[in-house]
Amino acid sequence: MAVANLLLRTIAENSMVVLLQGLQGEVTTVDLRNESTARGRVVNVDAFMNVRLEDVLYRDRRGKLTRLQDLFITGRNVRYVHIPDHMDIMKTIQSQLAKIHRVRNFASHGGGRKEYSKKK
Amino acid sequence: MVLLKNLRPPTEGVRHEQAETTAVMNGQKLGCGTLYVAETRLLWFDGSGMGFSLEYPTIGLHAISRDVSAYPQEHLYVMVNGKLTGENEADMAEKAADDEEDDSSNSSCAGDDDDDDEEAITEIRFVPSDKVALESMFSAMCECQALHPDPEDDDSDNDFEGEEYDVEEAEAEHGHADIPSFYTCDEGLSALTQEGQATLERLEGMLAESVAQQYHMAGVRTEEANGEFEDGMEVDAAAMEAGQFEDADVDH
Repeated sequence: MAVANLLLRTIAENSMVVLLQGLQGEVTTVDLRNESTARGRVVNVDAFMNVRLEDVLYRDRRGKLTRLQDLFITGRNVRYVHIPDHMDIMKTIQSQLAKIHRVRNFASHGGGRKEYSKKK
Repeated sequence: MVLLKNLRPPTEGVRHEQAETTAVMNGQKLGCGTLYVAETRLLWFDGSGMGFSLEYPTIGLHAISRDVSAYPQEHLYVMVNGKLTGENEADMAEKAADDEEDDSSNSSCAGDDDDDDEEAITEIRFVPSDKVALESMFSAMCECQALHPDPEDDDSDNDFEGEEYDVEEAEAEHGHADIPSFYTCDEGLSALTQEGQATLERLEGMLAESVAQQYHMAGVRTEEANGEFEDGMEVDAAAMEAGQFEDADVDH
């Protein structure tokens, strides 16, 4: 399981998905490939760009609006994810990468970090 | 619309099973049956074994709908790319690109219009009698969907099955690092030749270099290493001088 998560972190780290993962908790709009849109709070985005939203206003391609409590959009169906204006994109990417590196250093074999902790 | 017959419950990998669930496909009630959320596919069939199966790669989205003004019953909504002809669900992904947009018709489309923007979709609603089960049904589908990443995605390596990346979960894993077999410092060093020893020191130096960089990079603040993880591996203090290995390639 740890190996699978390590690989997922590697995927995320090497793609813009890492930015989307920083959207957790934000309310945003996702445009789907079939022209429908979904606006809601981001619960999670995984390495495959599957997006999970809650408290969603879903507009189908004809414009009909529906409220959905929880929504899971398959990554393949995502066309755009709108980044809220107030978000600093570079900072988000950097902090997400930092999280990944922190986790990697703790979990990597040989444990590079723990050997080189700052001496007081 | 053609439904499959003689469907049987899957024998393994069933993440959720929900009996007394009505299936409604494109507005047409198919009757009451049991929904099986299995790792390989989604299955629904009634008491006579008549029903249908869905392949996860063909599912565009799924959701919990509790808005009774939109649809009178709380249900699990599933949007499938393409038409369900019942012949072969595996073809659906291809058909989705070819078929004309046609929501009301339930016949397979002969007039192919190569318009990617107007893919046909199938809307399915699973209405369980037990509304409380909707959360579990939804979660089970999320898990299974994540097991089927898009094989056509060439942005990333998708050769394996994985889980959602969860920072909290990942950080909780600190104590369960997947460490392949390795020597402890004492027994290991004695097993090394002189050349091996030199290689070890060089590699440790590279690690020191990359860690030192991370401490100074972009002002990222990192916490002290948790003392709980000390495993007695002492490092030669000389290796701490990152300058020693300036010419080394740092690969991280």
